[in-house]
Amino acid sequence: MKILALNGSFRKNGNTEILLKQALMGAESEGASVEILRLTDYKIQPCRGCGLCLFRENVCQVQDDDVNLIFSKVDECDGMILGAPCYFLELTAVVKQLIDRCWILGHKIGKVRKPATVIVPYATRGWIPYVSLQSNILLNIMGLSKINEITICTQGISEVVLDPEAMDLAHEVGREIAIAAGKKDFTYKGDPGICPSCHDWLFRILKDRETVECPTCGIRGKLSMREGKIGVTFEEKALAESRFRPDVGYNHFTYHIAPSKDYFLRTKEERKLKTQKYKDYLNR
Amino acid sequence: MSRYLAELRYYPGDPLEEIRISDLKTLGKEYGVNISWTKTENREMKGGLLMENTLDKRIEDITQEVITVSSDQEENFSRCLVALYKKYRCPRTPYSLLGSNEAGQKIAKKLMDPHGGW
Repeated sequence: MKILALNGSFRKNGNTEILLKQALMGAESEGASVEILRLTDYKIQPCRGCGLCLFRENVCQVQDDDVNLIFSKVDECDGMILGAPCYFLELTAVVKQLIDRCWILGHKIGKVRKPATVIVPYATRGWIPYVSLQSNILLNIMGLSKINEITICTQGISEVVLDPEAMDLAHEVGREIAIAAGKKDFTYKGDPGICPSCHDWLFRILKDRETVECPTCGIRGKLSMREGKIGVTFEEKALAESRFRPDVGYNHFTYHIAPSKDYFLRTKEERKLKTQKYKDYLNR
Repeated sequence: MSRYLAELRYYPGDPLEEIRISDLKTLGKEYGVNISWTKTENREMKGGLLMENTLDKRIEDITQEVITVSSDQEENFSRCLVALYKKYRCPRTPYSLLGSNEAGQKIAKKLMDPHGGW
């Protein structure tokens, strides 16, 4: 059984790397073999938005980088730990760069199941609103099921070693992911959050001012107030609308994206005509 | 031919609830507009999923439900579209108003942002 750690921090021996290694030591204590990749050591080109992966399954125009290697490592592992620092409200850019390249994995949404956990060191309480959103997107599109997520308040380089509770927690989630991978147990063990699907606390109010939506899963519910506490109630059918279910993901690619080819071809001449002035403008 | 005509194309999984002709007739009557519904079904069950190859097909030929709304009265037309967006959510893709006339499409698009297409 193999546990892979993806490190979204540039810093060597920084808090993220230390926490990931501590978690991997926990995984090893449960008999796992382990590997760690620092994403910034690899070439991850930006997605070119060419749509080739959507229109011809499994073909990516970008071949001169290491994304396929990273994907193959994820394929090989039995469980994964994603670690990334939160510098500015969300995870680091390299994580987003990888997310954008994951269109080619769209066919895996909700189908391949492996457990994953997330470790996020951050410096200031209250400055991490989007970290779950990003990790949920990445894990879901890779076909991984998040079973836990920990956020650790720590600041200067390698300071986390001064926090024994954080180090114990990282070790424990490492053990936990190895056990879950061995048993193929995808039970969520972390903070339940508000969204019953991705467990995030982040919700957005829709413009009807009646409905709220999980921005990650897209499931909709109604705000509720019980004993002075804000909550969200969901109808049973709402859970079936999570964009990370295989049927919902399939419908999105099949009906929202693929037919755009017909529209693209139909509008070819008109687009060509209307685009010319932008090709000419500031391009001399 | 009505002054305002919109064709709202809903694809599998798009409508928030099942589209029923009886509900549409009620809405048509309530807002004084012409309303009709057509359904195209081309999916086949494969590996537990209803599947379809849509890549090289005409938009009009793939699985979808189309609600057609028409009226000469802008206000009635607009209010009916808002009711439809609220009930089913608004159509979701750049090509989901294909078949609408220019006046109808302009209103249907304008109403999407505040009533469901954000």
